Amino acid sequence: MFRAALVDPQSARVSRGLWSDAARRLRRNRPALVGLFCITLFALAAILAPVIAPFDPYEMNGSSLDAPSLTHLFGTDLLGRDIFSRVLYGAQISLFVGVGAVVLALLIGGVLGAVAGGFGGRIDGIIMRATDVFLSIPSILLAIGIVTALGRGMAQLMFAIAVSYAPTFARLLRGSLLALREADYVVAARTIGASRMRILVRHMLPNALTPLIVQATLVLATAIIDIAGLGFLGLGPADPRTPEWGTMLVDARRFMQTAPHIVVFIGGAIVISAIGFNLLGDGLRESLDPKLKR
Amino acid sequence: MSDQHLLEVRDLVVRFRTHDGAVHAVNGVSFDLAAGETLGVAGESGCGKSVTNLAIVGLLPKPAGRVEGGSVKLQGRELTTLKEEELRQVRGSEIAMIFQDPMTSLNPVLRIEEQLVETIQAHREVTKEAARARAIDLLAAVGVANPESRLRSYPHEFSGGMRQRVMIAMALALEPRVLIADEPTTALDVTIQAQVLDLLRRLTEERGTATILVTHDLGVLAGMADRVNVMYAGAVIESGTTDDLFAKPRHPYTVGLLRSIPRLDGETGGKLVPIEGRPPDLIEAPVGCSFYARCAWRTDRCATETPALAPIDGGKGPIVTSGPAATHVVACFNPVAPAEVAEGRPLPRAGGATQ
Amino acid sequence: MGRYIVRRLLAAIPVLIGLSILLFAYIRILPGDPCVAILGQHRTPEACAALISNLGLDRPLWEQYITYLLKTLSGDLGSSVVNSQPFLAEFLTRFPGTVELTFGALLFAIGVGIPLGRLAARKVGGWVDGLITGVSLFGVSIPVFVLGLALVVIFGVILGWLPTQGRIDARARFDATSGILLIDTLLAGRLDLFVDVVRHLILPSIALGSIPLAIIARITRASVIEVANEDYVRTARSKGLKEKTVDSRHVMRNAWLPVTTVVGLQVGGLLGGAVLTETVFVWNGVGRWVVDAIQNHDYPIVQSTILVFAVIFLVVNLVVDVGYALLNPKIRYQ
Ligand SMILES: Nc1ncnc2c1ncn2[C@@H]1O[C@H](COP(=O)(O)OP(=O)(O)OP(=O)(O)O)[C@@H](O)[C@H]1O
Ligand code: SF4
Ligand SMILES: [Mg+2]
Repeated sequence: MFRAALVDPQSARVSRGLWSDAARRLRRNRPALVGLFCITLFALAAILAPVIAPFDPYEMNGSSLDAPSLTHLFGTDLLGRDIFSRVLYGAQISLFVGVGAVVLALLIGGVLGAVAGGFGGRIDGIIMRATDVFLSIPSILLAIGIVTALGRGMAQLMFAIAVSYAPTFARLLRGSLLALREADYVVAARTIGASRMRILVRHMLPNALTPLIVQATLVLATAIIDIAGLGFLGLGPADPRTPEWGTMLVDARRFMQTAPHIVVFIGGAIVISAIGFNLLGDGLRESLDPKLKR
Repeated sequence: MSDQHLLEVRDLVVRFRTHDGAVHAVNGVSFDLAAGETLGVAGESGCGKSVTNLAIVGLLPKPAGRVEGGSVKLQGRELTTLKEEELRQVRGSEIAMIFQDPMTSLNPVLRIEEQLVETIQAHREVTKEAARARAIDLLAAVGVANPESRLRSYPHEFSGGMRQRVMIAMALALEPRVLIADEPTTALDVTIQAQVLDLLRRLTEERGTATILVTHDLGVLAGMADRVNVMYAGAVIESGTTDDLFAKPRHPYTVGLLRSIPRLDGETGGKLVPIEGRPPDLIEAPVGCSFYARCAWRTDRCATETPALAPIDGGKGPIVTSGPAATHVVACFNPVAPAEVAEGRPLPRAGGATQ
Repeated sequence: MGRYIVRRLLAAIPVLIGLSILLFAYIRILPGDPCVAILGQHRTPEACAALISNLGLDRPLWEQYITYLLKTLSGDLGSSVVNSQPFLAEFLTRFPGTVELTFGALLFAIGVGIPLGRLAARKVGGWVDGLITGVSLFGVSIPVFVLGLALVVIFGVILGWLPTQGRIDARARFDATSGILLIDTLLAGRLDLFVDVVRHLILPSIALGSIPLAIIARITRASVIEVANEDYVRTARSKGLKEKTVDSRHVMRNAWLPVTTVVGLQVGGLLGGAVLTETVFVWNGVGRWVVDAIQNHDYPIVQSTILVFAVIFLVVNLVVDVGYALLNPKIRYQ
């Protein structure tokens, strides 16, 4: 009773400040900062690979299977290629394919989710059943199926991973849109006669974006792992000499007994980048969730 | 305060540790409760009513909430320093509680039977059959038809009012001396509210159970409570018998409260006046009177000094803290004069207390 | 309850139809000449003609689909283009290995993940909680094959504690009736071999189970924390119940619910992860078979494996949902 009687001058300000609020909380979230650090490391390695890499990743620059040394920080592989340089270029591939796949998945999933959640009814039912189909297939098998159907290559890899995750994004966006349909300001917009499309684009999508961004960050981690997984199964880039992390692990595995450090360096690179995106994703979730405010 | 009260709360201080700092949820609450009496507690949302009650039985949310000072005595026995196991034995059997939302206060995956029987068996060495028989009696006593078969039901098979009856049965299962009912009817339909309150009053009267009744509904207080504590920002700011308080409210906040609800008798002219502003941020330690920012009666003194609860008429005779002759006390430097109550604002006074 | 199960079963039908269309399309999409794509180097004109009529590629699409559907429903899941072995027979000899591995991984994930989650929830905010959060972060961030290789290096190569290849000592001779060696060795009364099977199972189970473990630990932690804040838990405490009773009867009985659902959802990831794990540990199961099939362009095998795994996933989750309903009286009575 008293609750209703009280005016709440702050409520308007609170909602407008969501993003700056989130940024403030993110800055205080130590795990998220560690994640950001890992990602920066990963991104710098990828972008600056041509500058920092001491050797050409495709060329033989030393004898076969050299131990780590000052010249070859991570040692050399069977063909005498510098592993450090190859790991740096590998970051480039993972970043490129991973980000590409997630952006593509967001596009596909976003459109499907927006249509399903925004319009509902029959279309919604069909799209949801379709996502059920894709989600019932273990994602790595789905990716395997797509790569075998389309042939090996970076673009195919990207597409395969994108298709594996698009259903998740579609469901997520649809879920938030359905929840938002009942939100006060959407109902308000409807009563003043705003068009369906306008409500969807202007009022609902921006608010439904938050969970999507969090999920996309987390999926980047799994995407990097999946890319390496496909590479490990021999479904990586078409050229087997490409310094893709998973493909490199196939070779590394053969010398696990004598040169276990190779597995450690390549595996470490994958783990660090995955941890980075996982930490950042968790941090984003915590700082963007107004329920956790206080 | 010569003779011992059933329950004595003194200078209770509760803080919550949060990321943004300590929340000063309860700042020195004192009150007494005599056997068989019903004490009403009123006050805006967030003023510390529930936290006070949870602190009494040691159920503050851990690890954030802590009692940082004061004492709670049940029949002379200090509760705040009891070991967890001893406190457990007090809960349910000597002090029982009923909460606001009957929809969420019962465990959805356990039958009513299990929830009643476990309560009895937690405190009494009885067989399951005996506990079950007692549970049937209890359900019958709170007016559940076919208690024997209803015992097998799950909470979601009951209506809200019925669930709250089950909660009452559970709370009274061990004949506690004190019953704390925290907004027991807020979540119920108006017609059901009256039935549940009637039941509560009848059962506590029959058993002589002392009751602390928290409610937002001043009408309920007028009908149920012998005495009333009005709380604001974690402190009791006015206390007295229900009659005194409703007839002669003296604290500006109490006056605001009474003016903010529709009165059936239309005594104050029937105009509904909300209290403006919002309660203070409990993160900051209170300085001066906590109602200062919203008070029409404030003076400079109020900004720096904190008023203590004191008798209105300057304290003739000893202060009575419980029972029908309880002294009317108020924490305000400029108590509202009777003539000002209807106006809801200060009138020029001889002493020139207004600004 | 019966109605609920029927409803869930009916809901699975459109998904199965969608799945069949997708997998039907899969073989059709294969680039270029199906003969080249499917038969690859095994291509001969006769084989090609056989394949085309075998797949019915000379008939209209809808007819081909119906044929595919009917064949699938009758249990004919195609055959290998490499050695013409029917899919199902080969699959059934491989599947027990995958079942055993998945079982070991799930046991590890549940057996360790749930206690960790409960512990973290009890110490929420403390260093134990932080440590467990860190471990589960690591668990979801390390690929199965990297963890698998690391385990092989550490426990197999360096320490030499555990076997790193295969399901059982290659020299072991005994009657394998079910194909699930944990059971078969016991049936044969060979405790020594049973222990050997368990030892073989440990490292692959840890590798495959790490992601589900991390996810289960997280959801358990979150669920316990959430339930612990529920009103009915406060009620239970206010009644003076012992903390142990509050925890087991009021917190955990409710906290299980979301955990069971998540455990069911892990089965998909486990079956997928088995493909990689079996490769690392040279484990004789469906996963390695599929990898071989990919290398040999034996697409009908890939196609039908996807189908069977998806159906297993759907069935497991149906069972889990029914179990969930049994645990949750609110659904049970609908
Ligand atoms: N777990 C908690 N952590 C931090 N602060 C808390 C917590 N629980 C309560 N508080 C704070 O303590 C203060 C008192 O809360 P309390 O629940 O006692 O209010 P109330 O008077 O019962 O209100 P209502 O009428 O809404 O029930 C509030 O300001 C609240 O923000
Ligand atoms: S003490 Fe002063 S500010 Fe506080 S209620 Fe009384 S008059 Fe108002
Ligand atoms: Mg309250």
